[in-house]
Amino acid sequence: MPALSCKKRIWAFAIALLAVAAVIAVCKPYVLIQGLQRGGLYALIALPMALILGVVGIVNLAHGEFMMLGAYFAYWMSVSTGIDPLVAMIPTFAAFLIVGALTYYGTIKPVLKAPELNQLLVTFGLAMALTELANLLWTSRPRKLPLPYAYSSATIGHVTFGTFGFAYLAGALVLLLLLLWFLRHTRSGQAALAVGQNPRGAALVGIDVNRTYLLVFSLSVALVGAIGALFLVGHSIFPGVGSPYTLKSFCIIATAGVGNLPGILWASVGLGTAEALVSSFRGYGGWADLVFFALLIVVIMVRSYRKRVT
Amino acid sequence: MSRNGERIVLETQDLAKNFGGLVALNGVNFSLRQGEILGLIGPNGAGKTTFINVVSGVYMPSRGRVIFQGKDVTFLPAHVKCRLGIARTFQLIHPLTDLNALQNIMVGAIFGRGLGLREAQREALAVADFLGLRDPGRPVSELTALEVKKLEIARALVTRPTVLFLDEAMAGLNIDETEEVMGTVRRIREEGVALCVVEHVMHVISKLTERVVVLDGGRVIAEGPYEEVANDERVIKAYLGEEG
Amino acid sequence: MRHLRYVALAAALTAAILFPFYSGLYLRQVAIIILIYMGLALSWDMLLRSGQLSFGISGFFGLGAYAAVLLQLNTGTPPLVTILFGGVVAFVVAFLLGIAVLRLRGMYFAIVTLALSTIFMVVAKNLPSLTGGVAGKMLPSVVFGGDSVKTYWLALGVALLTVLASELFQRTRVFYALTSIRDNELVAKSSGVDVFRYLVLAFAVTSALQGLIGGTYAQIYGFVAPEETFSFTFLLLPMAMALLGGVYSTEGPVLGALLLGALGEYLKLHLPYGHRLVYGVIVVIVMLGMPRGIVGAVRTLAWRVGRKGGGR
Repeated sequence: MPALSCKKRIWAFAIALLAVAAVIAVCKPYVLIQGLQRGGLYALIALPMALILGVVGIVNLAHGEFMMLGAYFAYWMSVSTGIDPLVAMIPTFAAFLIVGALTYYGTIKPVLKAPELNQLLVTFGLAMALTELANLLWTSRPRKLPLPYAYSSATIGHVTFGTFGFAYLAGALVLLLLLLWFLRHTRSGQAALAVGQNPRGAALVGIDVNRTYLLVFSLSVALVGAIGALFLVGHSIFPGVGSPYTLKSFCIIATAGVGNLPGILWASVGLGTAEALVSSFRGYGGWADLVFFALLIVVIMVRSYRKRVT
Repeated sequence: MSRNGERIVLETQDLAKNFGGLVALNGVNFSLRQGEILGLIGPNGAGKTTFINVVSGVYMPSRGRVIFQGKDVTFLPAHVKCRLGIARTFQLIHPLTDLNALQNIMVGAIFGRGLGLREAQREALAVADFLGLRDPGRPVSELTALEVKKLEIARALVTRPTVLFLDEAMAGLNIDETEEVMGTVRRIREEGVALCVVEHVMHVISKLTERVVVLDGGRVIAEGPYEEVANDERVIKAYLGEEG
Repeated sequence: MRHLRYVALAAALTAAILFPFYSGLYLRQVAIIILIYMGLALSWDMLLRSGQLSFGISGFFGLGAYAAVLLQLNTGTPPLVTILFGGVVAFVVAFLLGIAVLRLRGMYFAIVTLALSTIFMVVAKNLPSLTGGVAGKMLPSVVFGGDSVKTYWLALGVALLTVLASELFQRTRVFYALTSIRDNELVAKSSGVDVFRYLVLAFAVTSALQGLIGGTYAQIYGFVAPEETFSFTFLLLPMAMALLGGVYSTEGPVLGALLLGALGEYLKLHLPYGHRLVYGVIVVIVMLGMPRGIVGAVRTLAWRVGRKGGGR
């Protein structure tokens, strides 16, 4: 991980950020609100991926697909038993712990020691297969649950906005704190950090490396599955709904820096706001998707150039 | 061939390398003369491999210069330095497993010397023969430990270097095998290559080298013939410190 | 033994060229699509040989397709020239992108190429004046007026060009460069290989081939549209083909294309949807059980048998 130079840099950056936020809040309040809400959702989805990628170094291109499956799982639970998706998050989490464990044993563990390429390819194939499976099972017709609280709104001054979206931001904060606590204060979390830094060293010290990978991977899948249930509340779902989030999560992680969990919150909100800003200009709505990728390419080019100089 | 060659073929001036906060090299002044077999020793973590990496262009130094045959080559990338005549072997053996042994050597011949495929093959066969590596068309997985070491040297040697760094080329070999490689090193010197040998086995250093440079904590702490250096207080302390 | 191989190759080539004369319209159309995928599979594998995984096949394919169509619609350039143009555009874009990004490798490079397809799709959707937006653009007529025999030969020609390029990558110094880079970059670098240059060139050349194939596709089918032209099937299927047949070779992707092409046709008759499921599963299974594909497995088997029998 690159050493951050000095605190001054962080402070200057934070102040600049707040200034920009203030400007946006005044001129285009909806943009800031949307940015916070969307950013919260992006952060929520990116955090589990940051857990496996940043901490133990596993790439999972099927990440968005697990979210999509979680959403469908919650949907069917809700439709058949009438429980609210928010409540359904719990059984979804449990179910996807199992899904994650099975996926780990079936597809990840065999290619752990192989080059990174293999992980990319296997999870890519998995992603495609899962999307298509969902298509076959549930067709591409979007589904949505009629939930009155998803449409609740509030008014500040002359600005009226939907409030449910802030649940994503709140959820992201909670998840971040939980993950940080897990990594720093539980034995399994510390084991995960050790394994990510030096698998062989960790094994020598007596850490069960395989169990750690299994735990962290299953946790990641369970989390993103449960997040799918939360996602269901505010969106309509279809088989391809998860896949853009895989790429966007990766963009966020690359921007924040692999291993920098708190940075994900900043990066997500920043990107969400930038996206909302672009959308707010009439006629440019379609370009909003590119914001993420443009930023990804810029970040990679900058890192690439820096590498050249060492 | 003059044993105490006057001409300095490679030298470093105040060479330093930091990795973030870690200081790996801290101002190394080093010179290698033509026709010389120089020993480079030091406790673990002294910076020997880092030194080779910086000199050969794998890392860029944080400070200082590398002068090769009178020209400043400090910031040239590794592949250019190889073509100019600075070659090295790797401590942890890295044969290219998707190629057979002969093809491994050919890589150096094609890109390190710019030869065409046919010529490269001939040169590779010649070098394999020179090193006593028989039947080089075999896959790398079939080679013995000694043969893998020879392959590593062959790959570097085929580029017709002026300077060759051998990074623990004799680690893990038994007495007979070590004698064989030592003989090979002398024959390489007779071909006109200046050699710098990094080793932990002191017996090898004492018999093979005329001059020894001792590195510790990224700095040169002693220099001279082996007998002098081995009795130098600072050197003994550096090694004892490692064992303690 | 060697003569046998040349005879076999010549026979196969002759059969391929004469194919339209002993097959019906349907088979010719199937063959055309197989040849297109074959080229994509080969070009993907060619870059993979350097150790870099590119998810950009569909991106450059679509880029070439759009370039060809737009050139013809706006300037009336003859169709075959527009195909070349597709290749050139892809080459330039890949070259510039490669220079910007290829100091970082592995995962970062792969993800950037994955984003490419989406980026191009968004651009295509949002510049309706240039690209026709979501509806895309149609050519007034397809190449050769739809003559399936000539169209087949066009596809065959492009596929053979890719095969030739692949063989060049296997039999010249490029093979030694890419294989050594893939195996251990550090060692390659220290043996004199200019890693960055070879990677950028490999990326640019293979992407150019993909653009060329895209241009060919556009001319054969006569239209481009964001969702269809940048479809992930053009990414997933060639990868599955190369993996199944056997990566790091020319024979592998060719074999994989023939096998999966035939399988695809069979699936179409019995399974209207869900092909991607099969291809995705194939990718997973091959990576887990048979990473060197069929050709690799056969080679290993032959080597083992040879050792037991001969024994030096």
